[in-house]
Amino acid sequence: MADLATLDRANVFVLRHFIDTGRAPHYADLARAFSIAPEEGRTLLRELVDSGIPAWQHPGTDYIVSYPPFHSLPTQYRVTVDGEQKWFAQCGLEALAMRWLFPGGTVRIDAPCLDCGERLAVEMRDEQTLLVDPPAMVGYSRSVVGGAPETRAWR
Amino acid sequence: MNLFRSEEHARRWSEYDADFERNLQPVAVWAERFSGEMFRRRLDPDYITWYTAWRAAQSR
Repeated sequence: MADLATLDRANVFVLRHFIDTGRAPHYADLARAFSIAPEEGRTLLRELVDSGIPAWQHPGTDYIVSYPPFHSLPTQYRVTVDGEQKWFAQCGLEALAMRWLFPGGTVRIDAPCLDCGERLAVEMRDEQTLLVDPPAMVGYSRSVVGGAPETRAWR
Repeated sequence: MNLFRSEEHARRWSEYDADFERNLQPVAVWAERFSGEMFRRRLDPDYITWYTAWRAAQSR
């Protein structure tokens, strides 16, 4: 079992990989960065995902599907930072937390409304909300926010 | 956990569940809720350590 300090380092590695590339690292990437064997990297990644953060791997695999606030598969929540679109948010609400991973950057969220398909856009920079279009936009969750992983409706 | 053009659009969504009406909130409310330490600290070098302790405190 990895100690918390190692999980801390692995967390930063995974998030930095998402920030830099727009997608999740493979456990072999983690192993290389930590100078450990691939199998140890696989174990470390599993332990990190099982640490309680709302992240998950594709069932039966060691591929990260989601690592908050990022999603490695395309979702309807496209995230653009300073004009570059290469990220997807885990869900519409986590999209609103994307700005904390890009301090000083202008973070834009583009998505369709799941009722009518019309476009939605939000822009944020650090503490500021720069745009909510349309202004009446709402967020909705049909599960307990912060509840147990199996109750999360975005899965 | 999705965004909609308005409350009316959210209520018309095929998966809308009135039992979770309290989770229908303006974007500004969710933006504030997703501004807590749990979200801001994610890149901190001790985040998992902090998060583990935070969760333990929440469950007490």
